Amino acid sequence: MALISARDLTKIYPGVRALDGLTVDVEPGIIGFVGANGAGKSTFLRILLGLLEPTSGSVEVLGFDVGRDVMQLRAQIGYMPENDCLPLDLSGTDFVTHMAQISGLPFVAARERAAEMLRHVGLHEERYRLIGSYSTGMKQRIKLAQSLAHDPKLLLLDEPTNGLDPEGREEMLALVQRTGREFGIAVVVTSHLLGEIERVCDSLLAIDAGKLQYHGPVAAFTERSRILLVELDDDVPALVDALRARGLHVEGTSSRFHITMTDDSVFDAVRDAAAELSAPLSRLEVARHRLEELFRRPTAEVTHV
Amino acid sequence: MSDVRAAGAIYDLGYQRYGGTRFGRSYSLRILIAYSFRAAFGIGRGEKAKMMPVLVAALVFMPALIQIGVASAAGMSQMIHYADHLEFTAFLLALFAAGQAPELIVADKQHGVLSLYLSRPIRSTDYAWSKIFALFAATMVLTLGPQLVLFLGKIFIAKEPWKAFVDEWVKLFPILGGSLLVSLFIASIGLALSSLTTRRGYATAAVISFFLLTAAFSQIVQAIGFGGMERYAVLGNPAQLISGFAGWLFEIEARRRSGVGRAALPGTYYLWTMLVVTALAIAIFLRRYRKVDV
Repeated sequence: MALISARDLTKIYPGVRALDGLTVDVEPGIIGFVGANGAGKSTFLRILLGLLEPTSGSVEVLGFDVGRDVMQLRAQIGYMPENDCLPLDLSGTDFVTHMAQISGLPFVAARERAAEMLRHVGLHEERYRLIGSYSTGMKQRIKLAQSLAHDPKLLLLDEPTNGLDPEGREEMLALVQRTGREFGIAVVVTSHLLGEIERVCDSLLAIDAGKLQYHGPVAAFTERSRILLVELDDDVPALVDALRARGLHVEGTSSRFHITMTDDSVFDAVRDAAAELSAPLSRLEVARHRLEELFRRPTAEVTHV
Repeated sequence: MSDVRAAGAIYDLGYQRYGGTRFGRSYSLRILIAYSFRAAFGIGRGEKAKMMPVLVAALVFMPALIQIGVASAAGMSQMIHYADHLEFTAFLLALFAAGQAPELIVADKQHGVLSLYLSRPIRSTDYAWSKIFALFAATMVLTLGPQLVLFLGKIFIAKEPWKAFVDEWVKLFPILGGSLLVSLFIASIGLALSSLTTRRGYATAAVISFFLLTAAFSQIVQAIGFGGMERYAVLGNPAQLISGFAGWLFEIEARRRSGVGRAALPGTYYLWTMLVVTALAIAIFLRRYRKVDV
């Protein structure tokens, strides 16, 4: 059974097609859901929860028709919204307990699971503090804890790393990964930063302007997006020729160019060719295309980030 | 490295799936009502959240308790009348609604908590009804509570409590009915006005202004006259409306000099006005939650 199965899903706001005939079958696992800001990610998640009605088309989640069985479905989904969603004058443990109860858990079970989930996200020490006194990082964590409190089968995480510093991002992604792998809960995690979530995902779903751009394994997608930036102290046209002769895709001038990274053998090819020609390498850097560039321009014209 | 992990494993029991009971929608609603009722009194919240409800509760219970104290010490049997007390409570109740109706709904909107509620198995109209019921129950405590204190006080300080009860028990019906309608009237107006804004300060201001401005406007009309129609203006002043309603309910004559006395309207006019305004306020409130964009 597909986790999410959308058929020709369309959502039109006045003047904007947020989703444009999206048809896709998503299998369980950790699914990275990428797209630029405004690509339609949040709209899609909110349709999955029945918070928004699609203009046309249909979607099934966990085998439930969203239009018809949304209440049964919601009992099995955990949702972490992108924006603020926390009451500031409650303690962490009271808040998560309350949310678990709203999802139907008896008080004692709700209390126990709240404690467990707060420990899981690393807020055990702070659980009796008022949420208003939490830092941004702690607020993101408690948002994750409440989404897990009722033991959902599917988690929808909307930009969970938003507003976090690099360290906080790493920790949040590690939590997401652990939740998906060890807990066996299917996770859909959105991000406008591909580089960030590709490491923790099993598969990727990419949309742009409400249209499906890619759906499949992470590797195949990231190959399209990685480039090796090469800079030389001198013009060495022979190096570019030599690399092209090895079947690599090279763009740029003879002193500064980038190569589309098909796999790590590109490094070897550059090393060998540069050594042969004694080319004065000054910089090697793995960069990536922006999501927008990947979608909107043909590969040949892509510039590096 | 493996040692560390092994040591950690002792404490880390791993993720436990939940296989226990999951109650349905009516349970979720009960939870939300109980939670909102507690929030109306600041229970489980910080100190600041308790100030307003505690103050109002103290003020509505105080006259009843003092009266009983004085009456039992001095042996008086004449006590403050239920109708007067209801009228007095209504003013404080309006303040309570101005402070606590926004507490119950505006904070959820302002901080986005509503999106979490609605991603769980409840509907937006369920949410709205739960809030109405919770605030109504909270205001009921403040209206019915002191009235029952007065009722019990009258009986227990009487020389013959049983005889006093036999004389007094029929009053329980107007006590209950009056508390019920006055509570629902003020709670629903508070919620309806609060639902129109997403800022708590504005919501509180809106509720207070509603009670003040309608009263002021009604007084002006009564003072300058409106071709004989000005006597109906008492229906537009919440304080006089409740006063007229309470008078009719407990079957007491309005003082001649008072606006209600001068207007000399049939008592049912007050009842119907309150019912219509309450229904209208609930309709407005529910409409705001019929379709919520979160």
